[in-house]
Amino acid sequence: MAEKPEPVKVLYCPTCSLPAEYCEFGSDFEKCKPWLIKNAPELYPDLLKEADEKEAERVSEQLHSVGISSIGADGSASSVQSGETSSSKQEEVKRLPGGKIKKKVRQEVVIEKVVRNKRKSITIIKGLELFGIKLSDASKKLGKKFATGASVVKGPTEKEQIDVQGDIAYDIVEFITETWPDVPETAIYFIEDGKKVPAA
Amino acid sequence: MFKKFSSDEVSSQNQVKASVQRKIRQSIADEYPGLEPVLDDLLPKKSPLIVVKCQNHLNLVVVNNVPLFFNIRDGPYMPTLRLLHQYPNIMKKLQVDRGAIKFVLSGANIMCPGLTSPGGALDDEVDAETPVAIMAEGKQHALAIGFTKMSAKDIKTINKGIGVDNMHYLNDGLWKMERLD
Repeated sequence: MAEKPEPVKVLYCPTCSLPAEYCEFGSDFEKCKPWLIKNAPELYPDLLKEADEKEAERVSEQLHSVGISSIGADGSASSVQSGETSSSKQEEVKRLPGGKIKKKVRQEVVIEKVVRNKRKSITIIKGLELFGIKLSDASKKLGKKFATGASVVKGPTEKEQIDVQGDIAYDIVEFITETWPDVPETAIYFIEDGKKVPAA
Repeated sequence: MFKKFSSDEVSSQNQVKASVQRKIRQSIADEYPGLEPVLDDLLPKKSPLIVVKCQNHLNLVVVNNVPLFFNIRDGPYMPTLRLLHQYPNIMKKLQVDRGAIKFVLSGANIMCPGLTSPGGALDDEVDAETPVAIMAEGKQHALAIGFTKMSAKDIKTINKGIGVDNMHYLNDGLWKMERLD
């Protein structure tokens, strides 16, 4: 075995991450279809046919709807609108493979102060990951800034949070908004007496 | 095995020392002679090799944050599917019929009849307790990595029950973990 075998390049579907030929067994074949038609039509000859048929159907439908609401041009407008709303709904309700529906999580950072030992406290920061911030990096930065221990800890509901030793609630808001401009001040909340209070 | 698998299951990860690294290399090279020429590219001597220990005595061999191999206890190293797709000829192949694909992709073990039916194919040289690639009827790429429970001959003659344990299949937890940080 002198020569190197070349690595085979496999076409992976971006929607379900499977190799294209296994899309039909994936969790959501319907969603993969547009990509498949574009990138791997030879694998699913049936799909092309189907797509053509659908296209034809849609065109005829559109013609139909226009024909019904022949009063004005708003017929076509409304049909376009309905198409848009359906697609946005699909985005909001993200279906998990088990058929469960995942709710979209609101992007917010929650800061909570927990008293540990009378005059010692821990500041817990939740939700930074929703802004695409790496928690390990964030904890390092926090630790450096406040000269305390800061660690990424698994929270109660399998979510990761950052625990910072000491009460740093007083200037953490400023720090967060300064280091990560993506996080708006309005999205930061404090928890005081079990109530959510906006920081801004 | 990887049906539910995420970075939560990682209990420790360390960069292993050179001697262990050499040992891992050696055992991979022994197991997959076809992989030897590219082994230097896969596991560069310079870059650190990380062994990630997970629950259930599972080890992952990770290079540059990409999981490449896994093994259980001291069992043989098996490539991840992404790696196998790149070098499909390194493992012995068994082929299941089309009807079985659906079940294999949801994690089922491979039953003998799925391998012996007209859509399936068997490599006669496969012994019991060896890692194999599970291919599928009419598909180019492997859909799972299995660990045989019986030899190919037994599968043919007995033709009943579990022939191959399903270790790692498309879209399971390990598949979804493209990178490990």
